[in-house]
Amino acid sequence: MWGQRYGVSKVILFSRPAICNLVCMLLARLRSVFIATGAYLVFHAQSFILDFNLITLNSVEYNFIIVIDFTALVFIGTVTLIAGCVVYYRKDYISGDPLIHRFIWTVFIFVISIIALILRPNLIRILLGWDGLGLVSYALVIYYQNIKSFNAGIVTALSNRIGDVIILISIALASSIGRFNFMHTYSFDHPVWQGITIIITVAACTKRAQIPFSAWLPAAIAAPTPVSALVHSSTLVTAGVYLLIRFHSPMQSLGLGTPLTMVAILTILIAGIGANYETDLKKIVALSTLRQLGLIILSIGIGAIKLAYFHILRHALFKALLFMCAGNVIHCMGDTQDLRKMGGITILIPITSVCLNTANLALCGAPFMAGFYSKDLILETILSLSYPHIVIILSIAATALTVSYSLRLSYFSMVHGISGRPLINFSDSTIYSCSAMLPLATLSILGGLVISWVILPNPTFLILPAQAKTMIIPILVLGAIFRVSLWAHRSSISPMTNNLTQNCMMGSIWFIPSLVTRGYTKSALTLGYNYTSTLDRGWVEILSITWFTKSVVYRARSIQTHQNNFLKTFILTFLVWFILALFVSLCINSLN
Amino acid sequence: MTLLTITFFTSNLFIFYLIFESTLIPTLMLIIGWGYQPERIQAGVYILFYTLTASLPLLLFIFWLKTTIGTLSMVLVIVSNTPNLTLLAYLAAVLAFLVKMPMFMLHLWLPKAHVEAPVRGSIILAGVLLKLGGYGLIRVSFVFYSQFPSVNLLWVTLRLVGGAVTRFVCLRQTDTKSLVAYSSVAHIRIVIGGIIISSTSGARGCLAIIIAHGLCSSGIFSLTNIVFERTSTRRIIVCKGLIQVIPSIAMWWFLLSICNIAAPPSINLLSEIILINRIMAWSTVRIVPIIVMSFIRAAFTLYLFRTTQHGQPLNSMYGFNSGSINEFVLILLHWVPINCLILKSDLFILYFGSLIKILICGVKDMGYPR
Repeated sequence: MWGQRYGVSKVILFSRPAICNLVCMLLARLRSVFIATGAYLVFHAQSFILDFNLITLNSVEYNFIIVIDFTALVFIGTVTLIAGCVVYYRKDYISGDPLIHRFIWTVFIFVISIIALILRPNLIRILLGWDGLGLVSYALVIYYQNIKSFNAGIVTALSNRIGDVIILISIALASSIGRFNFMHTYSFDHPVWQGITIIITVAACTKRAQIPFSAWLPAAIAAPTPVSALVHSSTLVTAGVYLLIRFHSPMQSLGLGTPLTMVAILTILIAGIGANYETDLKKIVALSTLRQLGLIILSIGIGAIKLAYFHILRHALFKALLFMCAGNVIHCMGDTQDLRKMGGITILIPITSVCLNTANLALCGAPFMAGFYSKDLILETILSLSYPHIVIILSIAATALTVSYSLRLSYFSMVHGISGRPLINFSDSTIYSCSAMLPLATLSILGGLVISWVILPNPTFLILPAQAKTMIIPILVLGAIFRVSLWAHRSSISPMTNNLTQNCMMGSIWFIPSLVTRGYTKSALTLGYNYTSTLDRGWVEILSITWFTKSVVYRARSIQTHQNNFLKTFILTFLVWFILALFVSLCINSLN
Repeated sequence: MTLLTITFFTSNLFIFYLIFESTLIPTLMLIIGWGYQPERIQAGVYILFYTLTASLPLLLFIFWLKTTIGTLSMVLVIVSNTPNLTLLAYLAAVLAFLVKMPMFMLHLWLPKAHVEAPVRGSIILAGVLLKLGGYGLIRVSFVFYSQFPSVNLLWVTLRLVGGAVTRFVCLRQTDTKSLVAYSSVAHIRIVIGGIIISSTSGARGCLAIIIAHGLCSSGIFSLTNIVFERTSTRRIIVCKGLIQVIPSIAMWWFLLSICNIAAPPSINLLSEIILINRIMAWSTVRIVPIIVMSFIRAAFTLYLFRTTQHGQPLNSMYGFNSGSINEFVLILLHWVPINCLILKSDLFILYFGSLIKILICGVKDMGYPR
């Protein structure tokens, strides 16, 4: 266990803030515990279930269940591995921050809620982790006190809130048939379960940042880079996929696989193209995350569940590494995220650039790196199934696009000369960030092999024509050639074309962020304003208080005029009463 | 406080009414006596007239009940044959409580009272007094079984639509206290729905949400007061960046805010699950406003949190302490029950329903008509 050895020894050496290091150590310890238990469970083919009954209402049991099985434990092991590295990495990255305790604790709560999310077969437990993830990630995104993270935070929180609300509704639906545990539910034929499946698929798409909800993921990079490494690589985005994995069989039987595939392919394409246009380093990494998520959803859509799970684990490792490297590069380049101002890091920060290249190669699915084992298998599964040509062509094109933007990233940060400030004080990363990055880099190379032994013990049997089988490598090369030919033709720095409209559209993932934020905000605020002005300060108030007060005051005033000591009024009143009394007495007399 | 305790203890409808009304006097004294702005007189007038106008018919209804079925004991009223209500009697029975809850369109007094009241007033108002309305509705819930299901429908629909709209209003508030007041107007909507659809688990969910919201909103009110004591303002635009100035209190802001949007493991969440379930079992179309409500509630609660806590603190703020033990204990005691009661949720959910059940079963066994 690489990370553990580094983590613990360094904690003992440099124990300054005791609590932070305690958390750090805890995370490092937890990882090996989880992975070891997971290995134990997979060898003995066991799983444990703990059940705690909160309340039973009308024979609906509101339970708190923990299920410990191999899938969950390996996932948690990966998450805690990355979290340990991240907590370690932040020592270097935000070292001067006086509020570092807040950061550490929030990350810790985040890890707790992802664990809560994973160890569940139960809708209520999902909500526990799911809500926790959304809210804590909100707290992490707004960690920096600037307006950018302010806005990004609310976009993240509200996008995730859609998923929360949907899960709340699905819990309500599920309780109408009296059961929340989808683990013991084998027949999903009941219409309620079908409805739940559909809306949970939507909920998963919000967390996975698929097409209509994909605005938050590129925005959320306003968080500190260690957070991005944790949140946007391994945890928050994979929460949705975990849900989809659990729900895959009813989903497939309902025929939701095909729409999911289409959404995924669109996301892949948009993110891939967007990453080719983007000039913000972290945003490129975020978009590539979006693209990988699309791939995972795609493989769920075509029914390759194990491959999807496999790819999540791999992707978490190299994407966290990529974020950490990007963070180092940004730090060293004088806190700029603009790709055009970077360059020459090969000479200046060699270890980081080695890690960056490793992560990039793994991302592209270069042969025998971590990404290769899952990505190649997913693509071959798509080729072997009878899908429409458009699906196949688009997924192949997306692979080429990945190579293209990875190469672009490497080119501008390494091959390109230093184009930032003339005077930059940077060293190679300190011992902290190196010891956070190197374990992940090693796993990005070896991890694919190791985990494929565990998850896929038997080789997957796929029958493919020779052209299809050998197609992947030429496609990768083709992507590289595409990018190089663009450079050959144009010396202009980042965009593919000089067409401004096109750049804006592609670079901002087809205006989705603007559409979902500005489109709704104004109408919601206008509604609130109209309501306040017409009802609360309008006729509700007029009808109740103003009208009441006015009428009372008016009548009181008219009575008051009678009491102004006018002799005529008195005499008139006296006369009226006299005549009335006379009349009444006459009536009584006549009755008698 | 004594009055409030008696209100919950009594089993006689008339005594309940009497004390329900007499709680108005200390509230009014709190608002007019300890408020600090001239608008407090207007707020006092609002609270007085809104509640008194609506609750006089309740008195008439209680007398009518006495003459019709001959008893005012809550238990016996529930198990006795429901009298044939006229529409007027029905309205008289529920309107007082609906104003107290407060119902959409009848809520104007609440933001005013909250804004003008001192912090103790706000806490008592949000924590207990508003809950009297819900409690009273549960007590007279037998009228909802009567001949006017269409009127029930009206309440529920008005509540859901109003709840959604009031949440949009919250997004426009610039005063922290007023925002919290509107949020409790919006929050309490779901309670009305739960009671009016008249199912046992609906009533249980209501009870749970009443307790949860009482704790949560009064906690947030005390937080606004803590901030007010330091910055001397309630304007959202002035109190900014508090997380850098008073980080410990900002943590409590976050924790209570997320309780307000029903984050797990608070009892807000449990009760909301129960209530949404009941309402959806009653009518599936109501799912749409519920979705809007849940979403916008997160929006405005986070709006309150982020505009006050995030950003650059105002330079004109001068030195203050970052929170005394007293204040932390106050907020801790609001927060702990919300999040720890979930482990023993039958305490506040089951006892009410089982009470009714035991009574009904007992009466049935004795051969009385249901």
